[in-house]
This record gives sequence, structure tokens and C-alpha cells, in this order.
Amino acid sequence: MSRIRDRTEDLKDAVRQTALSLGYNESKLAAVLASFIIHKPRQRSAFTKAALKTLESIEALEQFMLKHRKDYVDHHRTTEQERDSIEHEVSTFIKACQEQIDILKNSINNEEANSKGWLGVKADATNADTIAHKHGVVLILSERLHSVTTQFDQLRAIRFQDAINKAMPRRKLQRKANSNSVDTSKSSTSELKEPDEFQPDRLRVQQQLLDDETRALQVELTSLLDAVQETETKMVEMSALNHLMSTHVLQQAQQIEVLYDQVRYFICFPYFFLFICSATVHNVISGFVQVPLVSV
Amino acid sequence: MALNLRQKQTECITRMLNLNQPVNATGTANEEVYKILIYDKFCQNILSPLISVKDLRKHGVTLYFLIDKDRKPVHDVPAVYFVQANQSNIQRIIADASRSLYDTFHLNFSSAVPRLLLEDIASGTLSSDSIQRIAKVHDQYLEFVTLEDNLFSLAQKSSFVQLNDPSAGDREIEEIVERIVTGLFCVLATLAVVPIIRCPRGGPAEMVASALDQRLRDHLLSKNNLFTEGGSFTSSFQRPVLCIFDRNFELSVALQHDFRYRALVHDVLGLRLNRLSLQGEKGGMKSFELDSSDPFWVANGLLEFPEVAVEIETQLNKYKKDVDEVNRRTGGTDGAEFDGTDLMGSTKHLMNAVNSLPELTERKQVIDKHTNIATVLLGEIKERSLDSYAKKENEMLVRGTIDRNELLGVLRGKGTKLDKLRFAIMYLISSESINQSEVESVEAALRESEVDTSAFQYVKKLKSLNVSMASANSASRNNIVDWAEKFYAVTAGVKNLLSSDRQLALPRTVEALMEGKPNPETDNYVVFDPRTPKSGSGSSHLKGPFKEAIVFMIGGGNYVEYGSLQELVQHQQPVKHVIYGTTEILTGVEFIEQLTLLGHKMGFGSSTAAPTP
Repeated sequence: MSRIRDRTEDLKDAVRQTALSLGYNESKLAAVLASFIIHKPRQRSAFTKAALKTLESIEALEQFMLKHRKDYVDHHRTTEQERDSIEHEVSTFIKACQEQIDILKNSINNEEANSKGWLGVKADATNADTIAHKHGVVLILSERLHSVTTQFDQLRAIRFQDAINKAMPRRKLQRKANSNSVDTSKSSTSELKEPDEFQPDRLRVQQQLLDDETRALQVELTSLLDAVQETETKMVEMSALNHLMSTHVLQQAQQIEVLYDQVRYFICFPYFFLFICSATVHNVISGFVQVPLVSV
Repeated sequence: MALNLRQKQTECITRMLNLNQPVNATGTANEEVYKILIYDKFCQNILSPLISVKDLRKHGVTLYFLIDKDRKPVHDVPAVYFVQANQSNIQRIIADASRSLYDTFHLNFSSAVPRLLLEDIASGTLSSDSIQRIAKVHDQYLEFVTLEDNLFSLAQKSSFVQLNDPSAGDREIEEIVERIVTGLFCVLATLAVVPIIRCPRGGPAEMVASALDQRLRDHLLSKNNLFTEGGSFTSSFQRPVLCIFDRNFELSVALQHDFRYRALVHDVLGLRLNRLSLQGEKGGMKSFELDSSDPFWVANGLLEFPEVAVEIETQLNKYKKDVDEVNRRTGGTDGAEFDGTDLMGSTKHLMNAVNSLPELTERKQVIDKHTNIATVLLGEIKERSLDSYAKKENEMLVRGTIDRNELLGVLRGKGTKLDKLRFAIMYLISSESINQSEVESVEAALRESEVDTSAFQYVKKLKSLNVSMASANSASRNNIVDWAEKFYAVTAGVKNLLSSDRQLALPRTVEALMEGKPNPETDNYVVFDPRTPKSGSGSSHLKGPFKEAIVFMIGGGNYVEYGSLQELVQHQQPVKHVIYGTTEILTGVEFIEQLTLLGHKMGFGSSTAAPTP
């Protein structure tokens, strides 16, 4: 960062001058100036520590996905089984992250409820702004997780697209084969009819039986194939339509966002009463409008 | 590559939100992931067109507050302050630090914080033993509002009144000029360019240009300055030209009724900071965002209103067709065609439909939004017959004259009081010569409608001064009264309007400056180059041609002027780029109010209403 923009040194200089004029002695001055260079190790609350850990988990998930992305998408690098196992791992991972986020969310509510219990007076650490901040942290985590799962859903969509494409040409061939076989059987029976007239009766009956059997077999096979094909279609269809795994995560994020907005709303609540008492409704409304930035 | 002010400013803000540490690939991979953002009203206006609440969250901002709201402590979180460098903000920061509201304080000022205020912070925090909470102090040089990639405003109110006030002293004028220079300096620092500066002689334009040149020179003396930050090495022909003008150069643009979509939405409906609030049908207020993320707005902003209505219709029909297509392919397959292969195909179509749903929904939202806006606009246009105003004003400017009956008819017809006043002043500006009796009848008509004619009187005075100035020879210019000197630029401006060419004077002049060919209009313009020594020769490269220009209008500008500059460069070969900026974006009404104020200051009185029984 250019020294032109960073004015911290100038502030330090001003501090030195002011301290001297206030009569600070050497050691005190040194202590004050040292704070500019050495920062005290931060005391993190349990909540923040847990939130940072969850963020690490989400980032690890993203790294895992990126690592296996090529394998997952490319047909020839992995088998169906391997792809299923990647999917399974990812969804377990996602569930674990979701659980962590839920724990964090509930801890905010519990803390709020508990603190009220103590003599009905809120402890300093659980004021409205801190609660809103915590909701903000949880919302950020939730949105981060959602963006990761959306990425994964796109990969899944590619996979299912390929699956459908693979199934479709087979079907086309199958239909052609079916129609061909039906035609040939038809033509074979007609062909057989003619020489029948010149064949002795015994052979004719035998031939007839064979034909019947063949035809029956064909019909059975065709219907079996149809049934299998249908089941496969239904399975692919269902999983394709249900491939929006991220919908669940999105729902969670949306729930958290509603909570967050409510809490921010209520920060203004105490002042709401003050305004009501001393000003017109018009002032209240204009007071509200000033607080948020552009809303989504 | 074209200069993109919006992108550059957003980058600076992103860097600031990441505690002024370089942003790496993942965005926020450091310890200070979560932070609270505190801003003042001015900086809120800077942030709001550029960054949404969701984007704030992406950078780890959990909460955001106005600095003068009562705030509670949030421990173990750093706070990022983004405020103007003034006394009240400093006092609030000291108070916050003394109360240990947050863990650490990262102070960011929108322009360079003066030494005195740093000393105040020092003494304030030392006495409350909270100095260790202040982690960093940065000057951000972001004291301007960017609305589009190439449109900015300094958000400095009433600079036109202050600069043209006959009672304004030298000190006051200097202060205003300083503020404008600070704003412009911030813009240039953010773009990291040192332009060639050109402006007409005399008036606030030359004052600002000269002061800005000096400011840049002083700054460039240090080796590591804001303009070497990016390490960009631009040769002189790649430097842009900064053209500074004063509002008096072309008064008509700020007043006239324009009929193009963007100008209408701003002038009639009150577009502000890319947001629009309209009365909803059910009584509540609805808020719309109109910026570069709205494809309809971007594509059709320069169209005249009737064409916009047609375009909305076209988009709606296209949307309906697309929706029907999707429905046909996926839903309600009749029994006749139902068989195995179609089931497979319908799945594919269904998937495509699911994927295209968000896009379709978005398109519908945009169409609905603009239908809403257009409907409200249409109501206003009909009520005030704005189309008639726009047409007649245009004719007046082109022909230089108007039939007296037509003129009085408009003044007695539909429209708000201010519409009529604007029309009357447009008549004054556009008429080649002042016909005394006609002017008197106009004034009478205005008084009949109970319009405060101070603004009209003011412009009448301007015009008469111009006539007398034109006849005065150059030697006697020095004898002209001080404040009248500020109107010097009016001479050139009014002359511009006397030409029958309807092209606005500003784009024409800017084109000439960018082309760099000899031109009687611009040849005597002043030229400054902060990079070359003052006494240096070799000024040939300083006059162009230029591929990029920054045009700055002192005293106020609007979307009409912005649109006209965009149209100019779009039709040029090779394609050039213009950034337009002004001290504030004004509607016609806001500008008239400033003219009225000036009229009062010059003693043109405000009592015009005939006594009602």
C-alpha cells in the first residue's frame, strides 16, 4: 500500500508530539508507541472461534471439490462407483457444515434466552448489536456454503446430462431393432406361408410351433427390455429433478436472513418508542429509511 | 482500454473492506474475516450505488451503521470506518474508541485527512487511554459518487449559486474552488491518470483548472505518489484530456424539458443515486434500482419515450412467446404422443426449463419494473403535457424564434408553475434578440400563473450583460464589475445557442478539443499540463488528438448532457470514450430553484402573486 494513502505513521507522529506535551515519561511513551507495531493477541470469544472453524471446514470442502472436479466430470477418469462415492463424501461434508451452522445459530438464541434469565437484566455481552453481528456471521457462513453447493450442483447437472445422453441413443437403436425384428418376423411368417403349401403337414406344424415360440420369446424380451428401460428412465428423471441439493442449503440461508433482518429491525426498536413520543410518524419513517444501505 | 471509473472505485472500496490488505484469490483468507462497517451520510451515498448488502457480506461485513447512530459494543470484531475528514466525525471516533465499542479501529477518510485532525485523534485517544485501539489510518481519495462506468458527481450542493452569488467574497469563492479541486483530484487519483487540462478562459472553469494543475504539480513532486501506484507508464498521446466548463457555458441544457427516457425518469420522477421511489397502486412506496445491471435501462435510456413504450411491448411479447415455448415442450403432453422416447426427451426439456426459469423470471421482473415506471411517467406527461414543452423548446432553440400566440398559449396552458418558468427562460435564451414588448407579455403571463419570476429576471439580466459585453472591446474588459467577470463565460455560451445547429454546444466543443485540429472556438482555450515544467515549450502534443476525455461541468449537470456526450462518442470512428462528471446532478426544478435564489440575491424580489380576493 502506497505510503501516500497510509497515514498511520503520521498519526504515530502526532501521538508522540501530543504525549510529550502531556508530559509522558520515556517508558510510557515507548509503551504507547509500541502499540502501533505490536498488536495484542486478540481474545476471541467461543462463538467467533467456532465460526472461524466452520469457515475453515467450508473452505476445505471447496478445496476437496476443486481437487476432484476433473475426475468427477470426465467419463474416462472415473467409474460410476467412484463418482457416487465422491458425491456421497461431498454430501456428508455439506451436512456436517450445515449442522455446525445450525449449532451456531441455536447458540445465539440460547444465549439470548439465558441472559434474560439473570435478574431480567441483559449482560453487556448480549446487547442487540452483538446479537445482530452474530446473526450476520451465521448468515455469511450460510451464503458461503450455498455458493459452494451451487458449484457442486452444476457438476452434478453435467453428470446427469451425460447420463441422459447416453441413455437416449440406446433407446433409439432399441426401437429400430424392435421394429426391424417385428418386420422380419412378419416377413418370415409370410415367407413361410408360401413354402408351407408345398411342405408335408408334419413339418408345417413343427415350423408353426417354432415360430410361435420365437415370437413369444421376442415379445417377452421386448417387454422386459421396455420395462427395464422405463425403470432406468424414471430413476434418471427423478434424480435429475431432485438434483437441486443446494435448495436445502438455500432454504437455511433464507431462514437465517429473515432472522437477521428481524434483529436489525429491532435494534431500532427502542428508539422507535422515543421517536413516537417526541415526533410525528413522518419523522419515524424517515428515521428508518436512513439506516440500511441498498437492500437486495 | 477505456477508463472505467466505477470499476476502479469499487476496487478501492473492496480493498478498504479487506482492511487495505491485498485481496487474494479467495477474497478473505486472513484472520480478520468478520468486520463492522461504519460510515457517514456522504460516504453512504458513495457506497450505495456501487455495492449491495449481499456484496458487503461477501467481504465479511456483518453489520453496517451510520456513524451518528447510537451503537452498542461488539467485542472481538474490528471496525472499518469510512467517513469524511471533519471535526464531528473525529469526535465521534474518539468517543467510540474511548468506550471500546469495537476491538480495533481501521480509519478510512474519503479524502486526505488534515494534520490538525490527526492531532485531535491523538490527544483525544491518549487522554482516554484508547490509542492502542486505533490500528490504521488511510486516505482513500474516494470523495465522489460514481453512478455509471463513466458518470460521476461530486455531490456538492448549490455550487452554482455560491459561485455566481454577487455578494460572495474572494475567500468564499476560493473555498468552493478548493472543494471542487479536491473532488476532481480524488477522481484522477482513483483513475491514476494525470490528464492534459483544457478550459475556456475566465470564470470558475479557469480558476478550478489552474488550482487543480497546481495541486497535481505539488503532488507529483514526491517520487512515490498516487499516480505511480499502478506502475502504469502512459505516453502523452494516451493521456486523456480533462475539459472543465462552467454551467454558464450552456444554460439551456440544465433547464429544458427533454423527452428521452433516462432524462425523463430523472427530471420527472426524481431518480437519485440510481434509485427510484414510486407511489405503488396500493398506497405504499415502491423502490426500483436503475443501473448498469438492468439491461433494458442500459439499452433504451437514450430513446424517446414513445419508442420506449413500444420496446416494452416488444419485450413483453417476446417473453410470452418464450414462456409458451417452454410450456409446450415440457408440460401437458397429450396422450396421443405419449410414449417412451418422448418421456426421455421431456426430461431433457424439463431440465432446460428448470435452468431457464430464473432467467425468465428476471426478464419478467425487468419488464414489470419498466411497465410500472412508464405508466407513472405517462400520467405525468399527460397531466403536464411535457411532450409539448419538449417539442416547442426544441423548435425555439433551432429557429431562434417562436410565434407570440403560441408562446403565450403554452404559458397559459397545462404544466406546473416551474414548467412554465423553464419554458419562459428557454424562450429568453433561444431568442436571437430581445423583443421588449414580447418579454413583457411573457412576464405578465407568468405573473398571472403566480410564478415567482426572479429566475426569469436573473437570466434577462445575464442576457443584457452579454449584449453589452459583446459590444465592449477587449481593453475595457478590466473595467467590468468584479462579479460580472464571472459571467464572462456567458458570452461564449449564448453565442453557441445562436447557431442554428441544434447540436448542443458542449459535445461540439468536446469533439473539437479531442480532435485537436485548429478550431476558432477552442483555439484560445487555456491548456495545462501538470507533468511538464511550466516554462516548457513543445505544447504541440498537448492539443491532441485524444482518444479519451473527462468532461467536468461546474455548477451542475444532468442526464441530458451525459446522454449527448455518449451519443457523440458512439458515432465516432475510431471509437472514443468520455467520462462525464459534475458538481451535482440537478433536475430542471432544482436548477430553477438556484436561479431563483440568485435572482433574489440580485434584488429581483419575490412578490409576484396578484392579491387574491
